[in-house]
Amino acid sequence: MTEEFVITICDGTTCINHGGKQIQTALQEQLKLNSLSDKTRINLSGCLGMCTKGPIIVINPGYTIYGNVRVEDIPEIVEKHLLEGKEVARLVIQEDHLYNRFFRIFGDSRFFGRQMRISLRNCGIIDPEKCDDYLALRGYEALAKVITNMSPAEVIEEVKKSGLRGRGGAGFPTGLKWEFTAREKSDRKYVICNADEGDPGAFMDRSAIEGDPHTILEGMAIGGYAIGADKGIVYIRAEYPLAIRRLKIAIQQATEQGLLGRNILDSDFSFDIELRLGAGAFVCGEETALIKSIEGGRGMPRPRPPYPSVSGLFDKPTLINNVETWANIPVIILDGADWFNSIGTKTSKGTKVFALAGKVINTGLIEVPMGTTLKEIIYDIGGGIPDGKKLKAVQTGGPSGGCLPDKFIDTPVDYESLTEAGSIMGSGGMIIIDEDSCMVDIAKFFLEFTQNESCGKCTPCREGTKRMFEILTRITEGKGEPGDIEKLERLGNMIKKASLCGLGQSAPNPVLSTIKNFRQEYEEHIHQKKCRARVCSGLITYQITEKCTGCTACKRICPVAAISGSPKKMHTINQEKCIKCGLCFETCKFDAIEKV
Amino acid sequence: MVTPLDVIKKKRAEAVSRIISKNFLATKRVYVGMATCEIAAGSDEVMQVFRDALEKGKFTDVYLSQKGCAGRCNLEPTVEVIEVGKNPVRYGKINKERAQQIVERHLKNGEVINEWTID
Repeated sequence: MTEEFVITICDGTTCINHGGKQIQTALQEQLKLNSLSDKTRINLSGCLGMCTKGPIIVINPGYTIYGNVRVEDIPEIVEKHLLEGKEVARLVIQEDHLYNRFFRIFGDSRFFGRQMRISLRNCGIIDPEKCDDYLALRGYEALAKVITNMSPAEVIEEVKKSGLRGRGGAGFPTGLKWEFTAREKSDRKYVICNADEGDPGAFMDRSAIEGDPHTILEGMAIGGYAIGADKGIVYIRAEYPLAIRRLKIAIQQATEQGLLGRNILDSDFSFDIELRLGAGAFVCGEETALIKSIEGGRGMPRPRPPYPSVSGLFDKPTLINNVETWANIPVIILDGADWFNSIGTKTSKGTKVFALAGKVINTGLIEVPMGTTLKEIIYDIGGGIPDGKKLKAVQTGGPSGGCLPDKFIDTPVDYESLTEAGSIMGSGGMIIIDEDSCMVDIAKFFLEFTQNESCGKCTPCREGTKRMFEILTRITEGKGEPGDIEKLERLGNMIKKASLCGLGQSAPNPVLSTIKNFRQEYEEHIHQKKCRARVCSGLITYQITEKCTGCTACKRICPVAAISGSPKKMHTINQEKCIKCGLCFETCKFDAIEKV
Repeated sequence: MVTPLDVIKKKRAEAVSRIISKNFLATKRVYVGMATCEIAAGSDEVMQVFRDALEKGKFTDVYLSQKGCAGRCNLEPTVEVIEVGKNPVRYGKINKERAQQIVERHLKNGEVINEWTID
């Protein structure tokens, strides 16, 4: 980072259509002409959400935004701004969205520049334990705005117009949900925030709450105002102690400031929020099970209808949304539904947070506009696959989702496209799988999780997932039988059809989607007793090659004394004794041990 | 009549002046990641290094704050040094020793330690 200037050029579709690429070329030429190439770095960003004023370029330091830039303007910008240090006033635009606060600090980097932070707009730039920090960034202004200027019906209309859909996974239109709850007549209504994040490897909600707890509270209060509720509950798992602590601090601060509690901001509107801790059951992320758990019962789903919007917590109309959904609300109110609606694809608006994990260089928490392709996420933001390996598949949606093989890499992330490709959006888990991973083993991993977490209410889910897990275990141990694949498919389809809640309806997805896309791997396991990724220990043998120097390290570490050989001579493994623990493989410093 | 919007604007002004009174306008603002993931990677110790440096009274031009997770999981703990008029500097994989170096070299002498920055 020795450069003096970083120029960010919007690389979104609209800006490119308006000549973004020509501007980039012109800029590079001008920088060269003025000998500024070494002092300036050009950074390409994702859509900056200012499409009506594109093409957009941003110059740092100073965070000057230029809009409607034409190729002819470039010499002037370079000369005046970079050489003389003066802004080109006629091109400066003052558009300042809430997400820009984040972009100011992080936008000039490759990893963050491609992202757009709406729900995570304050995560990483404010002190989450200071209400002042949140207030300074227009915190609680959205709440004040709805109480002052908008009727509950207008708030709902605004949310509907924004096109926001539930970020928990199912993608139900949020505004409609609000409307259904608002139209119910009742002496008491409830607002719930579902923070029972349970997908293995997912940490979107935890990071959101730990980084910016007040946003959730503000979103919920707006929801309460819109549907006529005065009580909110955050259902969060007890495994998130820091998130719980920060939420508690935030609730206390907001109450002291008159932003929660009775007569909020001296108005007639009152709203309280309390926490309920979940014991960590995956099924409690399902809304009816979650509600049962808050009521003090055993967390088990019940048939719908009636939906919670009609009869939810304590049989009262209840509005329940996911953490990320709530975090979007203040932005929709302040930046406007029309602006929000301009971001994303035809059916999916706004952004989506993903926990990017697995075999990718930059693992992390990302938020991208809907419609960003998997390729952009994996290669532009994620930096590609480590060690020059080949991408094999992308798993989205956690244990409810599916694996998309590499041919789907151009799929844009939105609810419909991912479903069409054979996976789901889910709550935001995204695991990158490379050629060293065995698809049967991955399916087994997710099924082990769901069969453990099945609440046991529906027999197909309780027994079926268990049987599926047993079959998969058998296959990975090299004891697969012809017909196992068909059995898995039959069982899987039955569980999907005959289960009551989302857990059972989606539990077979990882298996069914890997069978569909990687059937050959299953067949190899069963018929040839071969695991091409050399992961399934039952299907591999360890062998010592000529690279062996006779250092005796493997012999010493082998727990079953299966390795023999004298010092400085090539060793051998007794395959009958070998338990395939892999310790020798990890210990060998000369790459002399091979998995076959 | 005073509306809730008026009230919140007043509250914001008060909040801003409270933040400023805590030396926010100091030339260098240092943010240390303190979410569960960052703490697990060791950011507690890093924070302590900066706290100690500030407490010993060496710096009057530094504002220190914690922050949530920005999302660079593989490079945590992360630290940002922000200075008005300069490009923000983001450091990754900071441990106790590196934090000490940042204090000595960057905060004291204004040297950006390029090998630890992330882009």
